[in-house]
Amino acid sequence: MSILEVSGIKKIYSGRFGGNRVEALKNVSFSVESGEFVAIMGESGSGKTTLLNILAALDKPTSGSVILDGMNLSAIKESAIARFRRDNLGFVFQEFNLLDTFTVEDNIFLPLVLAGKPYREMEDRLRPIAAKLGIPGLLKKYPYEISGGQKQRAAVARAMITDPKMILADEPTGALDSRSSDELLKLFSDVNMLGQTVLMVTHSVKAASVAGRVMFIKDGEVFHQIYRGANTNEQFYQRISDTLIMIATGGARK
Amino acid sequence: MKAGFYPRLAFDGIRKNKRLYLPYIMACSVMAAVFYIIVFLRHDAAVLNLFGEDLIVETLSLGSIVIACFACVFMFYTNSFLMRRRKKEFGLYNILGMGKRSLVLIVSCETVTVAAASVAIGLAAGITLSKLAELLLVNLLKGSSVDYSFKIDAGAIAQTAAVFSVIFLLILLNSVRQIIFSTSISLLRAENFGEKPPKANWLFGIAGLVLLAAAYYIAVTITSPITALVVFFFAVLMVIAGTYLIMISGSVMFCRILQKIKGYYYRPNHFVSVSSMAYRMKRNGAGLASICILSTMVLVMISSTTSLYFGMEYALGERYPREVTSSVIFESESVLNDESLAPYRKAAEDISNKYGFAPTDTVDYRTGAVVGYLENGTVETDAGVVDYLDAKSIDKGVCQFYFVPLDDYNRMFNTREKLDSKEVMIYMYRGSYDLPEITFNNGETLKIVKRIDYFPTDGDAAMSILPTMVIISKDLEDALGGLLKLADYSGGPLVSPSWIYGFNAGVPAEEQINVMNELYSRFKEISPDRRCHTECVEDSRAGFYGLYGGLFFLGVMLSAVFIIAAVLIIYYKQLAEGYEDQPRFGIMQKVGMTDREIRRSINSQLLTVFFLPLILAATHLLFAFPIINKILLLFNLAASNATLYGIVTVICFAVFALMYSLVYKITSNTYYRIVTGGRERTS
Repeated sequence: MSILEVSGIKKIYSGRFGGNRVEALKNVSFSVESGEFVAIMGESGSGKTTLLNILAALDKPTSGSVILDGMNLSAIKESAIARFRRDNLGFVFQEFNLLDTFTVEDNIFLPLVLAGKPYREMEDRLRPIAAKLGIPGLLKKYPYEISGGQKQRAAVARAMITDPKMILADEPTGALDSRSSDELLKLFSDVNMLGQTVLMVTHSVKAASVAGRVMFIKDGEVFHQIYRGANTNEQFYQRISDTLIMIATGGARK
Repeated sequence: MKAGFYPRLAFDGIRKNKRLYLPYIMACSVMAAVFYIIVFLRHDAAVLNLFGEDLIVETLSLGSIVIACFACVFMFYTNSFLMRRRKKEFGLYNILGMGKRSLVLIVSCETVTVAAASVAIGLAAGITLSKLAELLLVNLLKGSSVDYSFKIDAGAIAQTAAVFSVIFLLILLNSVRQIIFSTSISLLRAENFGEKPPKANWLFGIAGLVLLAAAYYIAVTITSPITALVVFFFAVLMVIAGTYLIMISGSVMFCRILQKIKGYYYRPNHFVSVSSMAYRMKRNGAGLASICILSTMVLVMISSTTSLYFGMEYALGERYPREVTSSVIFESESVLNDESLAPYRKAAEDISNKYGFAPTDTVDYRTGAVVGYLENGTVETDAGVVDYLDAKSIDKGVCQFYFVPLDDYNRMFNTREKLDSKEVMIYMYRGSYDLPEITFNNGETLKIVKRIDYFPTDGDAAMSILPTMVIISKDLEDALGGLLKLADYSGGPLVSPSWIYGFNAGVPAEEQINVMNELYSRFKEISPDRRCHTECVEDSRAGFYGLYGGLFFLGVMLSAVFIIAAVLIIYYKQLAEGYEDQPRFGIMQKVGMTDREIRRSINSQLLTVFFLPLILAATHLLFAFPIINKILLLFNLAASNATLYGIVTVICFAVFALMYSLVYKITSNTYYRIVTGGRERTS
């Protein structure tokens, strides 16, 4: 069953008075199955951030449609979009985006509080997630007191606590050292094993190699995609590298 | 490097940050303008021609000092805010290879530009408005000597320029110090300094509450006006300290307590607000406390000086119950009789005939007065024991006693009261006395047989803040007894028997003064040795207007300055918060807060933060009411006139709250523009 259906997305940015048009996305179509772990790779300016913003309902496509679990994103009213995002999507950002005014625990609770859940239920939900992510000891601390890797784990907990249909991760390892990166990626694949759909945008081969499928975006189009199949992480890593080199050197499209 | 490079860089810096610098320059200009006006008026011929000019000049001198000090503190505060925002730019210049020397040059150019602009605009505004201020002051003081020529006071210009140059020089030195003693990295990051979450400081919070409670207690329980005046300054200091402590620590403490209540805290409406509030209060506690203190000062100043000014006629009436009053002091009680008074009465009659008026509301009585401690029905009058000048004496029950013979009472009121020896009737002015007897040490014990509702006490009773008891007895000797033999500290008799004569003449002001003067010279002619005192309302009116009008004028001027300062602090606070909240806004949106939720949460925070100082100021004002009312007593604005003060205070507060709300509206728009402006860029 496919949980995300993206078809014919086009996004054109135009400057003031309609001049200076930039076509960020030309024609993007793909679908994501429930429980899949998809990585989207591409260089800076390839349009991957634009794509993620559209998937996150933070931006609207110029044409085309995004259907998440049977709901058409462009049909959702502006006023209901924030609620939709809160209930259906979980976000992990490169810059963590934790609020410095909250403790780690309160940061994680934020989406639930906004949804009006009672405190008892929030605690019940947090306990297993915190244990899984190894952050029970950090809950009472403030973001400024913990390391980058710890912050990102808190952000993952925040993304997971609403039990979202899909987690959107934007360069989640971008601001982490290699050890923290490895831990986080392990976390993502564990979460994915438990049935959580994850869609990650990255330009790190290492990060992409834990995914089940990698899509390559170039000049606003899905240029190519490869599946892990029976590969180990290392083997998949090699294949992704090869593909990137091929794309970069202008190899033929498969 | 090309000449003019640094000035151009400095000028560009100001232009690009005009949202920061324009209000700063404007506020400095207002301070300079007000300073100029006050200094100008102090030397102004039209003001010096006014009656009671010495009082006005003194009030204005005081005012100019207050403004200079306040301007200094306030400009330092504002400049520190500006520097914090500019440091990032300076850090960048520094990294790009500009030496500290060059940075200092830029800051110097900037400060000089701001100083020149502020002083120039301030002086221009001051000179333009000085005529208006002069007319206002002269009009307030009911003076008439106004000409319509335009004057510029070079001395005042020089003084203003000098004072503000010194202030700006100090500011420059402070900025230079900051640049020299910081590294380029710390300059770059200055803006984000202090990201630590606020910790509730229980000690400070509770200390603030205690201080405030103590100050309130003092204000409410104070009984005597003199003590009020002494204690007032301590109470003010306590309130200021308490306000700062409460705003900085107490508010964070309160948020922390709220966070402990899970059922309350984890609700959509409270969650973001409460935790951001803790942050906001920590950052802005001092600013909010300043706003609160300034608001309170403005309100107290304006309401009390307005009350004084508009209560002036009342105070005059209280101080001068009759238009013309005279008193003649006789050498002893025995010579104070109708026979000796006859020539005086004749003289008064001659004068009323001469000016063609029939005296109305006449009072004509003999009296002997003493002052003493009244305690448990016993009065101690010994000068060696009684220290009238001791501020606390009024708390110990010091009271004035006027002895009046029954004959004079019956004559004045057309009554036929009868009193036996040692029996008296009493009338209390300010205060009460319930015991059935009163005993004077070294004197007599008197039995109180009747309490009367009214007796026309003279202006002395109103002028002094002491309570006054009028004792009407069979005759003066019967009641005073042994007291007549006592001497006061200077060796003269303790009780000076005197004759009080007062009336309303109903003649124009100048004639009234003539009547008074003539009365004095005629009385003196009758017996040059007897001390004689005459006074009239019109003679004193100008003096009253000089004092009360001067205070009122200064109150208005200082209020204007304080309000400008408060507005500017509010504006910068909103600006600073806008920049801080910009990224937070973006995160909340990404996490799934709707625009409406964000707006509502921000709005409720802004409202709380904004109106907290106003509410606290209102509370301060409420508790200050009794103590200020007591102090107003010293200005003859009697307690019975508390309603006037009350009404004026309420009106002042209403007007102030309205202005405050207006400022909120304007500045919160700036805030929204900054916050949403940032969001458009991130999404």
